[in-house]
Amino acid sequence: MPVEIVKDKWPGSVRQVTLGATAAEGGTRSHTVTVGGEASLPFMHFEAPMPNRPRVAIEIKDRRPDDWSPLLLEVWGAAADNPAEWAKAAEQAGADLIVLALSLTKADGSPTQAADAAASVKAVLGATGLPLIVFGPGQAEADNELLVAVAEAAKGERIALGICEDKNYRTIVATAMANGHLVTARTPMDVNLAKQLNILISDMGLPLDRILMDPTTGALGYGIEYGFSVMERLRLAALQGDNMTQLPMLVTPGFEAWKTKESKVGEGVPADWGNWLQRAINWEVMTAVTLLESGADIVVLRHPESVARVKAVIDGLMQPA
Amino acid sequence: MALSGIQIYKLLPQTNCKECGFPTCLAFAMKLAAKQVELASCPYVSEASKAQLAESSAPPIRLVSLKADGREVKAGNEVVLFRHEKTFYNKPGVFVKLADSLSEAELQAALKAVEAFHVNYVGIDLSLDGFAVENVSGDGARFAAAVKTVRAHSKRPLILLAGEAGLAAALPLLAGETPLVGPATDGNWQALAALAKEHKAALLVQGESLDALAELSEKIKGAGLEDLVLQPVAATLAGKLALNTHIRRLALKKNFRPLGFPTLAVAGSAEEAVQAVTKYAGFIILERFAPELAYPLLVLRENIYTDPQKPIQVQPGVYEINNPKPTDPVLVTTNFSITYFSVANEVESSGLPAWLVVVDAEGMSVLTAWAAGKFDAERIAKSFRTFNMADKVSHKRLVLPGHVAVLSGELEAELPDWEIRVGPREAVDLPKFMKQAL
Amino acid sequence: MAHTFTVTFDGFPEPVRVPSGSLLSDAVRLAGIELQQPCGGQGRCGRCAVLVQSGAVRRRSSLRLSAEDVAAGYALACQTVIEGDLQVHVPPQEKIERRLTTDRTAVEVSPPADYDPATVQPLRRYTLTLSPPSMDDQTDDWARLQTALRQQAGLSEVKVSLPVLRRIGQALRDGDWTVTVTLDMKTWDCPGCPAALIDIQPGVIPAGDPLWGVAIDIGTTTVTLWLVDLITGKVQAQASEYNQQINRGEDVISRIIYASKSPENGEEMQRLVLDTIHDVLKRACGRVGIQPEQVMKAVIAGNSTMMHLLLGIPAASIRLSPFVTAVNHVPTLSASEVGLGIHPNATVDCLPGVASYVGADITAGVYASGMETAQGITLFLDVGTNGETVLGTRDWLVTCACSAGPAFEGAGVRYGMRATRGAIEEVWINAETAEPTYRVIGGVKPSGICGSGLISLLAEMFMTGVIDKAGHYNTHLNTPRIREGEHGLEYVVAWADETYCGRDIAITHVDVDNLLRAKAAIYAGFTVMSESVGVPLDAVEQVLIGGSFGKYINVEKAVQIGLLPDMPWERFQFLGNTSVKGAYFALLDQRARQRIHEIAARMTYIELSADNSFYDAFMSAMFLPHTDYRRFPTIAAALEETTKNLSRPGS
Ligand code: SF4
Ligand code: FES
Repeated sequence: MPVEIVKDKWPGSVRQVTLGATAAEGGTRSHTVTVGGEASLPFMHFEAPMPNRPRVAIEIKDRRPDDWSPLLLEVWGAAADNPAEWAKAAEQAGADLIVLALSLTKADGSPTQAADAAASVKAVLGATGLPLIVFGPGQAEADNELLVAVAEAAKGERIALGICEDKNYRTIVATAMANGHLVTARTPMDVNLAKQLNILISDMGLPLDRILMDPTTGALGYGIEYGFSVMERLRLAALQGDNMTQLPMLVTPGFEAWKTKESKVGEGVPADWGNWLQRAINWEVMTAVTLLESGADIVVLRHPESVARVKAVIDGLMQPA
Repeated sequence: MALSGIQIYKLLPQTNCKECGFPTCLAFAMKLAAKQVELASCPYVSEASKAQLAESSAPPIRLVSLKADGREVKAGNEVVLFRHEKTFYNKPGVFVKLADSLSEAELQAALKAVEAFHVNYVGIDLSLDGFAVENVSGDGARFAAAVKTVRAHSKRPLILLAGEAGLAAALPLLAGETPLVGPATDGNWQALAALAKEHKAALLVQGESLDALAELSEKIKGAGLEDLVLQPVAATLAGKLALNTHIRRLALKKNFRPLGFPTLAVAGSAEEAVQAVTKYAGFIILERFAPELAYPLLVLRENIYTDPQKPIQVQPGVYEINNPKPTDPVLVTTNFSITYFSVANEVESSGLPAWLVVVDAEGMSVLTAWAAGKFDAERIAKSFRTFNMADKVSHKRLVLPGHVAVLSGELEAELPDWEIRVGPREAVDLPKFMKQAL
Repeated sequence: MAHTFTVTFDGFPEPVRVPSGSLLSDAVRLAGIELQQPCGGQGRCGRCAVLVQSGAVRRRSSLRLSAEDVAAGYALACQTVIEGDLQVHVPPQEKIERRLTTDRTAVEVSPPADYDPATVQPLRRYTLTLSPPSMDDQTDDWARLQTALRQQAGLSEVKVSLPVLRRIGQALRDGDWTVTVTLDMKTWDCPGCPAALIDIQPGVIPAGDPLWGVAIDIGTTTVTLWLVDLITGKVQAQASEYNQQINRGEDVISRIIYASKSPENGEEMQRLVLDTIHDVLKRACGRVGIQPEQVMKAVIAGNSTMMHLLLGIPAASIRLSPFVTAVNHVPTLSASEVGLGIHPNATVDCLPGVASYVGADITAGVYASGMETAQGITLFLDVGTNGETVLGTRDWLVTCACSAGPAFEGAGVRYGMRATRGAIEEVWINAETAEPTYRVIGGVKPSGICGSGLISLLAEMFMTGVIDKAGHYNTHLNTPRIREGEHGLEYVVAWADETYCGRDIAITHVDVDNLLRAKAAIYAGFTVMSESVGVPLDAVEQVLIGGSFGKYINVEKAVQIGLLPDMPWERFQFLGNTSVKGAYFALLDQRARQRIHEIAARMTYIELSADNSFYDAFMSAMFLPHTDYRRFPTIAAALEETTKNLSRPGS
């Protein structure tokens, strides 16, 4: 019985965004990474081929973090003491991209200075040929100060600067424009807010193909359903032709999953939670896969085993059988 | 095509007699359009209208229910492709696979582990739904013995993965239940359909392509069986995703009856199980049981199947922002997620430590909740008591949102040993207030 | 060497010479003539229009000029290139201003052309002459009066109340057995009941003499009363006053809470509103020289909370889920029961409401607006605190309320005020310099900003980039007007030395946020409503705007901020206070009263808090003009135009 399948025809598609610049393009990356370009819902290869596979980024810090799960610190070992080493290890672990998250303070508790941030970025750029994404510590003043220094230090490398939020985007966008970088735009789990921030940023003159959006997602068990639906809605809007949602989505399941109690705590929890390490990795992987199914273009992870598993999932999702 | 409220209204008597329980025919029509009421509630619909409306209200995906000992695992009746469009209704049942090649002892151990497994997630007791016993041995008697062992240790609904011989031996053991049996394929469907029909079982229909599945389901329907479950088979995740999507779309968008059934997915890994939950599986068979997989999987299922139409709430409780110490200020707000996020974000990005007490205001913002009587002195005081705030801080000073400054007097009476400070109306002004006034 | 042209200005002897390609505004400046350019020459405000009497010009843009204006030779000086020798007239600036503000007029009310009190007015007056009693005829006074009513007025059955009974004897004798009686023939809740005798006066009252009734709108903020002569149907006096309940809370919720605290509080609220009504009643009666007791009927409209508080009915359930009123269709009452100081026997007719937050003010408004008979889809908006909206045609009506808050009424905004003398009612901002120009009601020094001024200010700040689309101030602009004030970032509209209060008048980021919320709530209300019935907004053929504020909105600005939908301006109509107007019609005509009853019964109320769709629509509207910019195509185009004209980088 021949069945005629239903194919959606979409007027719109997601923009392609390229991270990194090679020597030929004025940078020092060994290659660039392009994401986006989807003209159908995630992995509906029978409607439109996906020009770019979703990518896995590994998040590293500029110094050994104080608040990460011991499971993560254990697996990264000494590399966590040095951003350059950590970046190398991440590349080894299969990262397509490096996310360098700057700390608010140095190990001695004094505030991270612009020069420190610039130095960390330079070190990471020197250690790996992968394109780079840099997140500020997440406080407006510090973000603005450190990211301007970072943008200047990495001029020409086409890195992505984060995080732009609706109350703090002008400085970061301006420095991204001046130094040829990209930005990531983060909004709290709301379709409208995501779109609004994209409009605000593009109103400043930054081309849309230099913006990644991070709709924030929540972890499995901690609101992931909102993130899941917000991403589906954003992707649907993009395909329906809404210009201001046609941006690739960067999400941080690593950050989200590893702050849950299930991942952080190994003792004094119910036995039915199972093996701690495997549970924590499952939590990260399953959060990431859920987000891939709803349209993530870049997933930022923390544990190398998760990276391997998520990459295998992407392989499977990119093979239309 | 679904009809809009106005279109349905035009088919109703328009007398506003209120007998349906709604104040006007239009109110009823809108509920009907949202599929929240039954047409039968209006005693006055004309036959012609009934015919027109019935078309748009019949469920495009058949509801299939597996039953045993009063337990029921349902699939089907879904009406949307994306949960935000309305909601996903029937959580996919998760069944653990057991091979009849296992020894009696192994079987018992596996059964006990699953039976004992249950976790608490935000007050919901989560456990697995049943077992899928597979006739790996190829031997009917052995299969029947295995099913017998399972029934001896578990009352949960079952899926029997076996051919004619196995089913013929095992089904008589499950009288009064509705198991799912199969898979029926091109080669064996007649025999299996007959067995399923005889024992009132639902039948699993397997096929590698949509064409094959549709053809087979039509044949089986022709043999008088209604309760079917489709098992599309594909080699890769992308292939499985495509088949499940096609089936859901054809049912919903084309009302294509041959594929208007729930589907079953076999998951060998956490990753495959995630796809099954998010993308349309009606039943899931887990190849292996492990608590560290079952727990997150059941949580994911709860998450994806929550009703997105409910206001977005956060858990009431005490949120610690920037590692507060007992000397740091206590702020109060409601559990509407956006309210919570705007307060938490402002404070978090200011770097100032604080205790944020999130009161259960039924997911409403400060002003709305106050207006509706869900955020009053009594509720705030109750939260402070249940969360033991007095023990967490060394001072006793709390900051009330400026919008509900009127509550301060009553709150003083409810929490006599606390000093009530009225904060700013808007979250953006909080950091400044905290720096200057506290 | 470029060509030069000569431009001669009417009334100025010296012509000026300008190089080709110059703008008319350059020539005006060169001639030393004063010309307002509030928008900074961006072609947005239309204030720089001049009349080109002869010569060749090229108009880059004629926005805001009608086709007739252009045909007559008007051109925007800042947008018009000189292409030949010209003769130009610069009109006096004030005149243009008026021309541009014609959209602010409200429709005035007059009685229906075919008003015939003898058929549609339930209140009737009859002069009766009775045969006096005698020893032979010892029939009692009341029976005697009944006989006269039957024989001379054709009324076989008439109800009477004790107070009237007490007066009959005296009136008959004072009038020497000739009396004039006033009857209420029919009430909506008992159409078959006998007529009620309301008043009896000795002697003859000429048929043409006025018969008085009042229509009252009890607003949360303002109480309005129209004193009507029911014989001619004309409104003879109007009066309004702040609702004295304001002292017990500005919004309905606060008042419900206050009134519910104790029986005394409830009584106090009832007294406060009665006091307010008596104030306006006295004033209106004073104007025509009558006593309030001469008023024989009152029809009252108002939101459900106001109605409950007036009648002393507990209102607590209104604000608590599932939000039900005690009563939507109030039965006919008498003035003495209500405590209303008109004729004690007068009928008091409270118009019906639909739900807790859609009251009689809206059902009356729907009737007055005429939407319930419209064939095409109509949107009726009450731009007030409760933001009630009605969508429908003569076949169906849906309604919702979306607490918009009082920002547009000037409350909840730091320098907000009512639209009275001293209020800034219009603002223009120069896009290059971020400098404002404003107009003040009464032409005096400003003391604050009223609702229309706030809308205009918000629109201008947005169109010129002073705030971004999310309403955040652009601190990267080089202007002293954007500054960190006591309450955070703000924009100074008027410096202290220009103001009446001697302080800087500024709009803070919190104000902006409140305005955004108010406009977003109203817009979200009607988008959700249109979605829930499945009627797209562009299918709306007319938008009727009621509420006392509805008189003053500038459509263009209201569309720019996304308060009103982007559609051709001629679809908007301002109706003023439709609530009192509806009460007035009900007072005149029993058929109107019946229609309002039917409207209330068939309006379908949509509870916006029932699911997430309102929240979603609200978040989408919390942006300028809207997150879905495709809903506002003309604003998007205008913005593009403005940014193109601007040399400012990165704004
Ligand atoms: S019962 Fe039928 S006719 Fe009566 S109000 Fe409901 S829908 Fe209308
Ligand atoms: S339109 Fe010319 S100055 Fe405004």
